[in-house]
Amino acid sequence: MDKKNNMQIGRRSFLQITAGAAVLSGIGLPKKALAGTDKQLSTLIDLNLCDGCVDRTVPICVSSCKAINKDKIPPVVEDIPEPWPRKTIEDWSKKKDVFKRLTPYNFIYVHKTEIDEAGGRKTIFVPRRCMHCDNPACATICPFSANHKEKNGAVVIEQNQCFGGAKCKDVCPWEIPQRQSGVGIYLHVLPGYMGNGVMYKCDLCNERLKDGKLPGCVEACPRGAMLIGPRKEIEKIAEERAHAMNGFIYGKKENGGTSTLYVSPVSFEKINSTMEKKPGQPDMKPEVGRRMAATDPLGKAVLAAPVLGIVAAGALNWYSKRKEQMKKEGKDNG
Amino acid sequence: MDEKILADKNLVVRHSTLELIEHWAIAISGLILLFTGIFELPVAKRYYIITVPGLGWSADFITSLYLHYAAAFVFSAAALFHLVYHGLRSEKGLLPQGGDCSASITVIKSLFGFGEEPPMRKYLPEQRLAYAGMALIILMLIISGLVKTYKNIYTPDMSHSVLLWATWIHNISFVLFFLAFLAHMAAIALRPNWPMVRGIFTGKVRLDYVRHRHSLWLAEIQPVQELPTMVVAEDQAPQLQESDSAIEDSTKDQTTHINKF
Repeated sequence: MDKKNNMQIGRRSFLQITAGAAVLSGIGLPKKALAGTDKQLSTLIDLNLCDGCVDRTVPICVSSCKAINKDKIPPVVEDIPEPWPRKTIEDWSKKKDVFKRLTPYNFIYVHKTEIDEAGGRKTIFVPRRCMHCDNPACATICPFSANHKEKNGAVVIEQNQCFGGAKCKDVCPWEIPQRQSGVGIYLHVLPGYMGNGVMYKCDLCNERLKDGKLPGCVEACPRGAMLIGPRKEIEKIAEERAHAMNGFIYGKKENGGTSTLYVSPVSFEKINSTMEKKPGQPDMKPEVGRRMAATDPLGKAVLAAPVLGIVAAGALNWYSKRKEQMKKEGKDNG
Repeated sequence: MDEKILADKNLVVRHSTLELIEHWAIAISGLILLFTGIFELPVAKRYYIITVPGLGWSADFITSLYLHYAAAFVFSAAALFHLVYHGLRSEKGLLPQGGDCSASITVIKSLFGFGEEPPMRKYLPEQRLAYAGMALIILMLIISGLVKTYKNIYTPDMSHSVLLWATWIHNISFVLFFLAFLAHMAAIALRPNWPMVRGIFTGKVRLDYVRHRHSLWLAEIQPVQELPTMVVAEDQAPQLQESDSAIEDSTKDQTTHINKF
């Protein structure tokens, strides 16, 4: 059922949003988009189209996301248990309206930056949220598998399984997940000694995708600066747009590849140079590597280890028996 | 297995070099897995473990993963080698036998001064039970660990249900492994078991200890190495085996052979 819905969203929303974007950008709608979709979805964020909703106090992608997720976090306990021995409590429950950084109550924000280009000064708006990586360390390394990757590419934290240890944040190159203390399963286990809340981040509106709806930010964007669709098609559009504007793509190689592609007329080196990495405000370092990739060869050796053990046992047993046999024959002969 | 009595040195070869390598490969890699597994939990920063000299790396989950993988390679290969090699050679001395549960209770009671120990084989009945328990835990750790490793490399979008099963089997087995390790250490700490500690380092235990505690084992290995110069009837064998002087004489003079074995 979910799979079917994901397919529906792939076709319908892709057509719907790409059509809108195509009108705005003047780039033709690829015919293949009508034919169907891959299992895996990708999103595209076109920085050439995003204007940061300058006429609004809060960019509409941000307010839409906030509205959809406003009841996501359950009420925070009055007396948040003090973690021992390091007494870090992160409570955003009284600062729910913050929208200029990522918080447990704010899964997307828009970074505004001024870039000096040959043609003059250019203002760029960069919506920032989880990149939904192809092989996300935040999910694979989660000790309770509360954070996991869906077949459609969405990286989702199950808030009823998360202990809020913030390991996912530590291994994310952009430190996207944010912690809210005083909620979650840890309160019922060993509060104070184990866990410290729940980690929150964009889940690509995975529940909405299952219901055949669009992610809130994609649906709300009045300029069609965000698209969602089958991965290959989105990649194709990103390439075409980057080529048309003589621009750049971010997210294709970063952290080993992601399901979020930014297209920009300005290089990401320049954009990144204007960003100071702060809590809840990630930078945009081009080609940031996937650290876990370096452990893959050793991981493959681990997968082969049982076979090696079995083969070695068989070989040594054969050798020992042969030796014993030869010894016996030697004795028998004299 | 080259079990033999070295009467002139008052020693009995209890473990072969290969068995010692297997034991220590699994033990050392298991300990590394235990610690790096703990460091895969977000505890090093929280509990200031990173401030301990030499453990500054403990909060780096990728470094811990490197070490965890390296140890897992040795652990999995050694465990499967042990299982298959000794299985092929039909060496089943460590497998639980009928009556081990009640015999274990008798032995444990005797360790605390209640009652007499029954005569024992090479391994104590509770050792055989502990071995089976540890083997099961290790098997669960390896299988669930392999699923998690495969997911890390090839299928980050693995079915969440499968992943949750693997994760929780791994986590629960990790706790059981830790408890089993503590129980293993506790068993070593008991004075009557001290002579066996030497065996797991050198492969040899004292003959007088074996004579006192593992008389059934001594009876099993004694005739294997001897020359067939004297034949003892089956119904006489137990009596002879129970006799310390007879065993000593036979091992020194190499004159006894018991056809029963």
